[in-house]
Amino acid sequence: MVKAFKKYVLLTDTEQGDPERIKKIHDLFLAVLRVIGGDEEIQVVRTSDVGIYGRGVVAQILPDNIFYAGVQEEHVRQIIEEGIFQQKKLEAIAFEPKDKQLRIVLRNCGVIDPERIEDYIAQDGYFAIHKVLTQFTPEQVVNEMKISGLRGRGGGGFPTWMKWNIARGVTADQKYIICNGDEGDPGAYMDRSVLEGDPHSVIEGLMIGGYAMGATKGFLYIRAEYPLAVERVQKAIIQARERGLLGENIFGTGFNFDCEIRLGAGAFVCGEETALIASIEGRRGYPSPRPPYPAIKGLWGKPTVINNVETLANIPVIFLKGGAWFASIGTETAKGTKVFALTGKVKNSSLIEVPMGISLREIVFEVGGGILNNKKIKAIQTGGPSGGVIPEHYFDTPVDYDQLQKLGSIMGSGGMIVMDETDCIVDIAKFYLGFCVDESCGKCAPCRIGGTQLLHILTEISEGRGKIEDVEKLKRISFAMQKASLCGLGQTASNPVASSLKYFYEEYKAHILENRCPSGKCSRLFRYRVVEDKCKRCSLCQRNCPVNVISGDREKGFVIDAAKCVKCGKCFEVCKFGAIAR
Amino acid sequence: MTSVLPGSAAVGEELVMAKITKEQLDGIKAQSVGDSGNWVRVGMSTCGIAAGADKTFEKLTAQMKERELEVRVERCGCAGKCFAEPLVEVAVEGMPVVIYGRVDENVAVEIVDKHILGKKLLNDHIYSVKAG
Repeated sequence: MVKAFKKYVLLTDTEQGDPERIKKIHDLFLAVLRVIGGDEEIQVVRTSDVGIYGRGVVAQILPDNIFYAGVQEEHVRQIIEEGIFQQKKLEAIAFEPKDKQLRIVLRNCGVIDPERIEDYIAQDGYFAIHKVLTQFTPEQVVNEMKISGLRGRGGGGFPTWMKWNIARGVTADQKYIICNGDEGDPGAYMDRSVLEGDPHSVIEGLMIGGYAMGATKGFLYIRAEYPLAVERVQKAIIQARERGLLGENIFGTGFNFDCEIRLGAGAFVCGEETALIASIEGRRGYPSPRPPYPAIKGLWGKPTVINNVETLANIPVIFLKGGAWFASIGTETAKGTKVFALTGKVKNSSLIEVPMGISLREIVFEVGGGILNNKKIKAIQTGGPSGGVIPEHYFDTPVDYDQLQKLGSIMGSGGMIVMDETDCIVDIAKFYLGFCVDESCGKCAPCRIGGTQLLHILTEISEGRGKIEDVEKLKRISFAMQKASLCGLGQTASNPVASSLKYFYEEYKAHILENRCPSGKCSRLFRYRVVEDKCKRCSLCQRNCPVNVISGDREKGFVIDAAKCVKCGKCFEVCKFGAIAR
Repeated sequence: MTSVLPGSAAVGEELVMAKITKEQLDGIKAQSVGDSGNWVRVGMSTCGIAAGADKTFEKLTAQMKERELEVRVERCGCAGKCFAEPLVEVAVEGMPVVIYGRVDENVAVEIVDKHILGKKLLNDHIYSVKAG
C-alpha cells in the first residue's frame, strides 16, 4: 500500500505571462527538498488555477491551508524550513484569499447526482416543503417571502411575494404556477445548469409557491433545445411522484400538487409571460396586452404565477434558513445572490454565483481571472438583448437591479459578456439588434418595423454609408419602440443601441465621419493595400482576388484598385508575408 | 402509512399513493454515504458532456472495474468552471480533495494511476482545492 504524503505545497502562477516562471519555482522546491530532506513527506504540485488572481506565484500549504503570495525564488527555502518544518507562519508573504462566490442557488450543482432523489434529500431536499406544510399557513409563507426580499431572477425583478400574494387573493376553482425555463439570451445558461444539476430544488420551489397561492397544478416550461434538462426534470418528477412527494395529500397534510413539463419550441418571445401562457395553451406564442396580469387572469383564464428557474431554486433555502437570513445577504434593494454566466473575453468563462452588491470589477478580475491574453477591457454587456453595455469606468458600481438600470443596462437573467479592445461597439449593437429582429413575433408594428429600421441604419454605419443624422434617427426610433411596443421584447430591444450610443458615441462618429472602425472589426471599412516592403511578389493575392482588381505582375509588383475592391478580405487571408495592410 | 417502493404509484392510477413521511426523509438522509470514502465525481451537464465528460465517465467506471478498486464513480451537475471541462472531483482518504480540469480519457487513466493508486496529486490539472 502506497502511503500518502503528509504535506502538500500547491503552486499556482496567478498572473498570465511567463509560463516558465512556475516551472522554475517548482523545480527549486524539489531541489531544496532533496538537499535538506523531506521529499518523502512533502509533495510539490503545480496547479492550473485555484481562483486567486494577480498575486504572483501563490503557494498553498495543505492540510494547514496556509497561503503565501508573491513567492520568489529566495522564499523557497524559508517556506520549507520555517513555514513547513517549524510550523511558523511567514507573515511577510502570508495572505488569506477571500472567496467572492456564495452558492445558494447552485448549492447542489456539481455536488449531487441530479438523477437521484436520495442525493437531493440527503442535502435537506424536500425538508423545506415539509416545514412549510406543517408549520406555515399560506399567509405566513407569503410573509416569509416578503421578509426575504427575493425578487424575480428572470429579468424584471418583481418581488416574488407580491406575485404570490396577488394570485392568492383571487378566488378561483383552479390556479396554476409555472416555472419559466425558456432561457434564450445569447450567452446565458444559468437556468439550464440549475435544471440539469439540481432539478428537484426547482420542483420543491414550485410546490412551495403552489401552496402559498393555492395552486395544485404546476407546469415547467422548458425549451426543447435543452434535451438533457428536460430528461432530468422528467426523471425528477417521476421520482418525486413515486415517493409521494407529488400527488395527493402530500406528507398527509391534505395538500395536493402535481406538475408536468411543457416544451417550448425555442422562440425567444415565449419567455414573455403572456406569450408563454399562449404557448402552453397550444396557441401561437404571441404576447397580449397586460393588464389583466396573469396573476389575475392567466393560463386558461385562471390566476397564474410565473417564476423563473433561479427564483424557484432559491425558495427551499429561504424556508430552511429563514427569510431574515436571506435578507442579510445583498444590498438594500436586492437580497440574496445572483447567478451569472460569465463569458466573452474573460480568462475563465464560468457559471458563477455572487452576492448582490459585488462590483463588476470584482466579478471580472477576482472571479473571472481577468481578460484573456492580457488585453485591455472595454465593456461588459449585461442583460442580454434587453440589456446594455457598461464601460470600464463604471465597473466599481455595485451589481443590483437599480444600479444597473441607472447605467442604462439591466440585471436581466444573468448573461454577462466581457468585451475587450478588439470588439467593435457598433458591431455588438448590430448583433443584439439582429437577434431581436429575428426573434420579434411581428405582432406589433413598433417592434417589427422599428427593429428592422434600427438594424438597417446600424448596418449602413458599419459598412461606411452612415450619416451623422442617423444618430438622431436611432434615438427617435428607440424611443418609439420603448414606448409603443406591446411586450418586453420590443420595449427593450433598443437598449443595446441606446447604451452604446451613450457611452461610445466617439466610436459611432469614427465609423460615420472617418469611415474607420477603431477596433478593426467592421471589414467593410477596411482599405486593403499592398505593402511594398513586405511583398515577395508571389502573386497569390492576384490569383485569389474574386473580382480581379489587383493589377501588376511578378516583376513590377501588385496594386489593389481601392475603388473597385469589394473588401472581401481574401487577399489579406492568403498572403503569407503579411504584405496586405487594411 | 404505506411503504415507499419505487414505481409503486403513478399519477392517475387508482393505486394507494405511497406517502413519504418526515421520518423517512430523515432515514434517507442518515443512510446517505455523502462524501465519505473514496470517490470520483464527473460533471455531467450539457457543458461537461459537450467537452467529452461522458467518455471520461465511462473510462473511469471501466478502470475501477478492471483494477478492482473500491472507488465510487459518481456523476453530478455543472460545478461552474466551464473553461476547464470536463471536471472530475477526486477524493481519496488521507489526501486533499481536488477538482481536476480538462480530464480526457488519458488524464482519467493518469488519475487512477497516480492519484488513486500512487497517492500523488497530478501536476497542471488542478482547478480547485478543498482544504483538508
